[in-house]
Amino acid sequence: MGDNIRAGLISGIAFGVIIIITSLIGFFGTVSALLGEFLFDPKTQPAALYSLVLILALLGLWAGIRAAKPVGTDRWSGALVSGAVAGLSTGLFVGIYTLIIGGFNARGLDIRGYLAQMSPDAIRFLLFQLPPATAALSYFLLFTTTGLAGGFLAKTLGRGRLKKANQQLKSKITELWESTSVAVWLSKFPYTQYIVYGAIIILALLLPISLGQYWNFTLGTVGVYVLMGLGINIVVGMAGLLDLGYVAFFAVGAYTVGLLTSPQQLSQFQIDFWPAAFLAIVIAAITGIILGFPVLRLRGDYLAIVTLGFGEIIRILVRSDLLSDFTGGPQGVRQIDGPSLFGISLTNDRAYLYMIILAIMLAIFVTIRFKDSRVGRAWVAMREDETVSQAMGINTYTTKLLAFAVGAAFAGLGGVLFASRNQYIGPEDANLLVSINVLAVVIVGGMGSIPGVFLGAFVLKGLPEIMRQLQDYRILAFGALLVVMMIVRPEGLWPSQRRRLEMHEEELPLEELEETEAIGALEAALEESTK
Amino acid sequence: MENNAPVLEVINLHTYYGNIHALKGITLSVHKGEIVTLIGANGAGKTTTLKTICGLLKPRLGEVYHEGRMINVLKAHEIVSLGISMVPEGRGIFSRLTVLENLDLGAYIRTDRVAINEDLDRVFSLFPRLKERQKQVAGTLSGGEQQMLAIGRALMARPQILLMDEPSMGLAPILVESIFETIKTINQEGVTVLLVEQNALMALSIANRGYVLQTGQIVLQDTAANLQINEMVQKAYLGME
Ligand SMILES: Nc1ncnc2c1ncn2[C@@H]1O[C@H](COP(=O)(O)OP(=O)(O)O)[C@@H](O)[C@H]1O
Ligand SMILES: [Mg+2]
Repeated sequence: MGDNIRAGLISGIAFGVIIIITSLIGFFGTVSALLGEFLFDPKTQPAALYSLVLILALLGLWAGIRAAKPVGTDRWSGALVSGAVAGLSTGLFVGIYTLIIGGFNARGLDIRGYLAQMSPDAIRFLLFQLPPATAALSYFLLFTTTGLAGGFLAKTLGRGRLKKANQQLKSKITELWESTSVAVWLSKFPYTQYIVYGAIIILALLLPISLGQYWNFTLGTVGVYVLMGLGINIVVGMAGLLDLGYVAFFAVGAYTVGLLTSPQQLSQFQIDFWPAAFLAIVIAAITGIILGFPVLRLRGDYLAIVTLGFGEIIRILVRSDLLSDFTGGPQGVRQIDGPSLFGISLTNDRAYLYMIILAIMLAIFVTIRFKDSRVGRAWVAMREDETVSQAMGINTYTTKLLAFAVGAAFAGLGGVLFASRNQYIGPEDANLLVSINVLAVVIVGGMGSIPGVFLGAFVLKGLPEIMRQLQDYRILAFGALLVVMMIVRPEGLWPSQRRRLEMHEEELPLEELEETEAIGALEAALEESTK
Repeated sequence: MENNAPVLEVINLHTYYGNIHALKGITLSVHKGEIVTLIGANGAGKTTTLKTICGLLKPRLGEVYHEGRMINVLKAHEIVSLGISMVPEGRGIFSRLTVLENLDLGAYIRTDRVAINEDLDRVFSLFPRLKERQKQVAGTLSGGEQQMLAIGRALMARPQILLMDEPSMGLAPILVESIFETIKTINQEGVTVLLVEQNALMALSIANRGYVLQTGQIVLQDTAANLQINEMVQKAYLGME
């Protein structure tokens, strides 16, 4: 029973926090309006309001199911208690929240100065157009009933028929798939996976032509984050070195290409984009090694703090008066040159998206090559146990430096493309938030996984770009998202196989473990008897 | 004459943890083809000795020689390349990697793919259990299997000298016996063994010679047979009155 209550509380708190934060950034208003137009007849009914209730009810249901699923499905009472507690606590959280925002409205306080989305109208909408106390009570009742219903649903769906039916369906689908001639042909054909990769590559290359300027620009930004995500994936995901100053290398790449191509700073020393880009990447990699040296002996938290410091030092340096002759100080570097090929300038958003896609492909290729190499294995071993990996003959110094250098090169490349596309780089483009964003991209997507980086970058950089409203509260959304991720899906949205194993160690191989122990005992007994 | 020169020689080794003086002048030698055991109570300095030999710790004073070459100035990974491998205390397997990946990492210093595969077969024939479980995540192995993996992984470096830190730790007696049988087999196949143990009885039963370590100092050294009948050893380590 205690477990049920605890599961309910955890789920309830998680959902309460999600609902409050997403409502603060105007999520419910936007989505309800969209959904309302789609689902209901906007003329005859208060469509948006119905949609809001529908969304909230679904969330309550989900909270109940989540709470009841892992613990209480073998007993009715357990499942119901979990669901009810989840609903109650969600309702309590959100109810109090509605009381507070309703209170602001009643006193005529406008909080839009702090939270741009929370206009009096929006608040009234969130209160179902009811007085605050009534609204709070409605929320409370809504979540409690839906939470309870969720528990009920989890019980009916959880163990018994539905789960079995689901599994049967799955195996039927696989059977069907395997029996169709195309599938047989595909699986017999050894190059299937190359064809799939080829198709993805062709699609990626067709993408920029088929999109307009806005999308090319937006996807370009997402792409720069993918690039940096792939880089930090190597440093943090593979080598296990928690680097919080990753933006430093982005800045080095961006400023190097800026200084070398802009007529503004070192006017007597202006070179073409391509050699400048190459130099920028090399210098970023070297910076990675230089910054790597002093932190080689540090592990874990210390490493994180020191690298964070490095990131800030770079930003402060480029901002400072000391270097302002070169870096433009707070103004940054302007008129950064773009690339051209055979006399054709490649400075439009489409050309940049192409370059970014090519850069990403290169980065993926490098990542895969490293993953399967000796170095890749050394990184993984080092992440697992540094001392033992030394005893295996791994030179942890050079292995770490290499991880820093490769990661830094990716970030440098990202910086080059970012700066030359914007024709500008300033110290604020290189602030701590960028490091945190990049780290969030891989955490949300799934540490160590390449598709995860894409998903994470799209969710964190693409979605806010699309829903402009979210932009202001990105940080808030990040915080919420990260908290929720930790609770709901600690391995990330699209985890690597290895990560999945690590994170669900206690769930996955338990049966195997027991089996192993049993075999061990059996073997021991056998040996005993043969003696 | 050459035959008598020790393959591994430790002279007057002093190792510190900060200002904790853990090894107070250890001197010992291991000859080619021997099993030498280092026995002692918990905290005597056995692990520290092994770690200093394989370069994970640096001695403040004293030297380690491998075939007459001073190696205490080398880094841990360089020492592995000389043919000195360690089975760490508590097994130290990479618990989130598969059995095969663990074994592969054991051969990290080598590039001779063909010979590595031969050695993999050899490890699998020594521990058939590992072959069955090669795709399994190592953390899910039983204690005995993990020890097999740790030994197998060390063998994958094709070592000349194997340093083993309490391979019997935490294992059921029957498994301990089979592990020690394997150590003997490995030794007969030509690997010199320096075996650290608290289980003095078992260690002395397979060793040629032994050293007794107490609070960072060697207090006794003799052939294994003599140590087994030594009164002090019997009292302190063999549980006999
Ligand atoms: N990391 C460490 N830091 C400080 N003291 C240590 C450390 N490791 C071991 N010691 C101390 O060094 C001495 C020898 O330890 P160790 O070599 O592990 O003994 P054994 O392996 O024989 O049990 C002990 O007194 C122990 O407390
Ligand atoms: Mg020890």
